[in-house]
Amino acid sequence: MDLPLSGADASVGTSTLDGIKLAVARANAKGVPGGFTFAVQALDDTQQGVHNPQQGASNVRTLIADDSVLAIIGPYNSNVAAAEIPITNQAGIVQISPSAVSDGLTLGKDAAMLRRANPGVNTFFRVCTTDSRQGSAAARFALDLKLKRAYIVDDNETYGLDLANVFARDFTKLGGTVLGRDHIAPDTQDFKALLLKIKGYKPDFIFFGGTTSTGGGLLRRQMFDVGMGKLAFMGGDGIPDIAEVAKKRADGTYYTVAAPNADLLPAAKRFVAAYKAKFGSDVGPYSANAYAATEVAISAIERAIEANGNKMPTRAEVLAKIPRGAKNEVLTPIGPISFDTNGDVRKPVISLYAIRNGRSSFIEQLNLSE
Amino acid sequence: MHEFLAQLANGVELGAIYALIALGYTLVYGILELINFAHGDVYTFGSFVALGILVGLRAAGALHGAGLILGIAAALIAAILASALLNAGIERLAYRRLRKAPRLAPLITAIGVSFMLENLIELWQGSAPVPFPNVIPNPQLQIGALEVGVQQIVVVALAIVTMIALHFFVQRSKLGKAMRAVAQDRDAASLVGINVDRTIAMTFLIAGALAGVAGFVGGVSFGSAWFLNGFGAGLRAFTAAVLGGIGNIAGAMLGGFLIGMLESFSTWLIGGQWSNVAVFSVLILVLVFRPSGLLGETLPEKV
Repeated sequence: MDLPLSGADASVGTSTLDGIKLAVARANAKGVPGGFTFAVQALDDTQQGVHNPQQGASNVRTLIADDSVLAIIGPYNSNVAAAEIPITNQAGIVQISPSAVSDGLTLGKDAAMLRRANPGVNTFFRVCTTDSRQGSAAARFALDLKLKRAYIVDDNETYGLDLANVFARDFTKLGGTVLGRDHIAPDTQDFKALLLKIKGYKPDFIFFGGTTSTGGGLLRRQMFDVGMGKLAFMGGDGIPDIAEVAKKRADGTYYTVAAPNADLLPAAKRFVAAYKAKFGSDVGPYSANAYAATEVAISAIERAIEANGNKMPTRAEVLAKIPRGAKNEVLTPIGPISFDTNGDVRKPVISLYAIRNGRSSFIEQLNLSE
Repeated sequence: MHEFLAQLANGVELGAIYALIALGYTLVYGILELINFAHGDVYTFGSFVALGILVGLRAAGALHGAGLILGIAAALIAAILASALLNAGIERLAYRRLRKAPRLAPLITAIGVSFMLENLIELWQGSAPVPFPNVIPNPQLQIGALEVGVQQIVVVALAIVTMIALHFFVQRSKLGKAMRAVAQDRDAASLVGINVDRTIAMTFLIAGALAGVAGFVGGVSFGSAWFLNGFGAGLRAFTAAVLGGIGNIAGAMLGGFLIGMLESFSTWLIGGQWSNVAVFSVLILVLVFRPSGLLGETLPEKV
């Protein structure tokens, strides 16, 4: 695997690695067909404290040079993935990322460029969902909540702007009305001028593309100062911590998260308990994803071993066993996983939460199929 | 019309905060011809002191009924005292010994002090914005076609009372007269028996106190305090001071309100991402076409 394991990303990198280790330990304890054992070879893609695409590419080459490596888990970051995908694509080795969310890694022209060495073959998969899917799920949730007239604000950053763009497109397509859009300048303190302007449009809700710290928290808070406190406020997975800034004024906020609700999945509860028992710490933000990515890789390798008469399979044989379409879904703590032709999860689950009395409560979840 | 009035009221609220900060720039410039770049951070400091007091009092359960008024007063006074002492301390430690140095030296020192304060506040409060307690009940009132919040009225009223007090202090009190004398001619002032060092220290103390009031009302108005708040607010207030004519007290007030309204109206009419462009375009235009500002007299070139 390849992850950032030192510097600024060290804590998420390490908790992600622990997810991988847990999946491998469980597979070995259960017994691998043909008497093989799985091992984790951990490489760090950090240079001078920051995840580094060149270091990631070099790590992937190291792993590919070792014949016993049948699958690579990682990387953590989208820009590192963009440097690694051409290499794993050329080598024909399975690569599964727990967390690289940028649309262009699997979709459209950007993805085609990454696969140019071997255009017919896709070797890169990810168990996380994309920004755009979250935006379109939010559009459906809003209409479910009978919120039909939206004013969209974003923070003009990659994540926020993408989310707002997709939301605007899909919300209009599904019959909602986008009354207007605005982008906020970095470090803005006063949102009341903007809110007064929005108030004039009489929207049912404000959709915010961005994070709590890029303006979501203050925007929600200041809605009360201009008499818009009762208006609904919606955003993506950038604002689950909004109550920390807006306090009680966060009530009436809706946000989406690109994962099923853990309480609804027995596998998730078991994972959390096992993780705590093994590592003595709480799960990291992408530990479950890393665990799921590793389980998917392990299941593909095991089925390839069995298909090969309990002998060591080739990388191409493992790639062929990666779950695709409706067959052979792998049941993981983040839901059943199989991939579409792009390498994205076929049935991503997006959950909707609302903040009530300063606490998040689960509302509903949406299974987004192709 | 309805919306125009609402934006106007918001612009006045923002402008009141900028005017209070701009007064600090202008007072210090008037007496020392120094642009105190650390002034924005004194404002941030005041905001955090008020926040700390309010959070402490709320945790102790003291913010109810009459306690609420007392608590708000305590937070305001603490912010004023803390900012005033900080600003006077900066003058004593960093600027006084450079008073005879070339003009560039204190200017660079001011920038250095600003960075130092920002980093110290970050060390103290962390790099994330800290929510400011919602202490002032904020029902919306309908006055004719104008809808305003109680909080908005309190913010503007506090700022205006402070400015009136400042005006009388500078015009009528003995110390105010001394300040004006030192601003006009430091040597002549000392010849007639004015203690120049003390007068300059008092000026910093008063400029800091104004930043403290601004820190409190800014925290109430924006709902958060952040270690870098003073940078953006300071730059806008500095623009306001230049617009009104730096060194001119009435000019700083006028400039503050104009910049606040410009920010509010540009967000309304052009879009939020352009409000900084609008504000700083004004700075450039004023510097090019009317360097002495709207109310300033033409002075020989200074830093």
